[in-house]
Amino acid sequence: MFNLAILKDTVAVHPSDFGGPQEQAIIAELNKKYANRVLHDVGLCICVFDITEAGEGKVRYGDGFLWYKVIFRMVIFRPFASEVILAKVMSSDRHGIRLTLGFFDDIYVPVAYLPEPNAFDPNEPAHFWLPNSETTELLDSPVADRMWIDKGEVVRVRVEADEFYDDEPGPIKMADGVQVVKEVQARAPFTITASMAEQGLGPTSWWAAAQLEDDVEGEGDAMDEG
Amino acid sequence: MISDEILRIGDGSLAKRLVVNPRTALLSNYEVLTLLRDLESDHLARTKTALRIKKEEEASGLNSTVPVGGGKDPTVVEVCENLRTVSFEAIQYLSADYQPTAAQTPEAITRLVKAIQPYGLTKAEKLQIVNLAPQHHIELYVIVEELEDRLAERMEEVISHVQKSLVLDPTLAPVSRQNTIPQNRAQNEEWEADEEYVEFDDHGEGAGVEGDLDMEDD
Repeated sequence: MFNLAILKDTVAVHPSDFGGPQEQAIIAELNKKYANRVLHDVGLCICVFDITEAGEGKVRYGDGFLWYKVIFRMVIFRPFASEVILAKVMSSDRHGIRLTLGFFDDIYVPVAYLPEPNAFDPNEPAHFWLPNSETTELLDSPVADRMWIDKGEVVRVRVEADEFYDDEPGPIKMADGVQVVKEVQARAPFTITASMAEQGLGPTSWWAAAQLEDDVEGEGDAMDEG
Repeated sequence: MISDEILRIGDGSLAKRLVVNPRTALLSNYEVLTLLRDLESDHLARTKTALRIKKEEEASGLNSTVPVGGGKDPTVVEVCENLRTVSFEAIQYLSADYQPTAAQTPEAITRLVKAIQPYGLTKAEKLQIVNLAPQHHIELYVIVEELEDRLAERMEEVISHVQKSLVLDPTLAPVSRQNTIPQNRAQNEEWEADEEYVEFDDHGEGAGVEGDLDMEDD
């Protein structure tokens, strides 16, 4: 889920920070710049892990800042493909389910990755799974039989793919000397596609219940080995 | 592997940024949680000291209009909002009650990684076993590919290793684990008292998981 990336950058330290330890000042600057931001093709930056290498601070013409060339390690959130993670259901719509981890909420489970057979009930609104059913009209099924994937539920999902989107603003367009502001739909810079279409995936409560029944049978074995 | 990229920073100036290696090592959830908590307590401590200094100054009547720090008030600890947000939310996620991190200790994780060494699991699988602490077949099943073929009878062993590594609420635990609890608690206290964090001992990989999840020799 988390990993370390080695990055290289040049940071400026303000003169008011010259009094304290320089390492701390550099880390603070790096955190200010990177924390909670998505680096293209790298992932979501959490915080600086440590500084690997820092050059001599240099003063440039024009300001009193000390400029440091640093190589540092960053804690990055980017689950690898096929990794299993726990998340919470944030919202559901016709196209699928959106999940959240709290600090990251661009995880989507498209309908194709939901356990079959499933359907979306717009009255809830939530998706449900109807195991071992033969009916084609899933929405006619008795509500009690449905395995709901409700909002706020903890689900176990497998990461299928991730995608980065570089929202490069491009040059400013001017029309008659006035800046033209384009209305672009904000697209998340980093999205993860996840799957529930597998035994053991989906709301953890489904499997905890199923496991209890199993445990009663295999109780003896487990005790011996523990 | 070096990719050049131009990053536009807030004030419009361009800075060259280099990604030397986007993924050098994997971190376990527990390591990240410890790091973030460490950061948080560090921040709290600094805020407290700053407040104390401020109070002392006020008490001694030293109320200089020009602060010593060259324009910046030294008693104000600068907070980076982004960092605070992400670390607060990540701590919440990582210490949520559906995560096993609360029941884990560095020593126990190290022992667990050692214990599951002989089963021929991949690094990714071992990392997920540490992160998710599977206690049931079905949980292990989603983590380990072709579980039946590869582990067969030994699944129970892996699960019991996991259970042994957790200091959990005793109602769920097998009876034999109760022996290990006092010992774990003692280690826990010892570790908390210890200022030096063993697992961030820095060898390019968290020693907490024995450097085992390092990607480099993949």
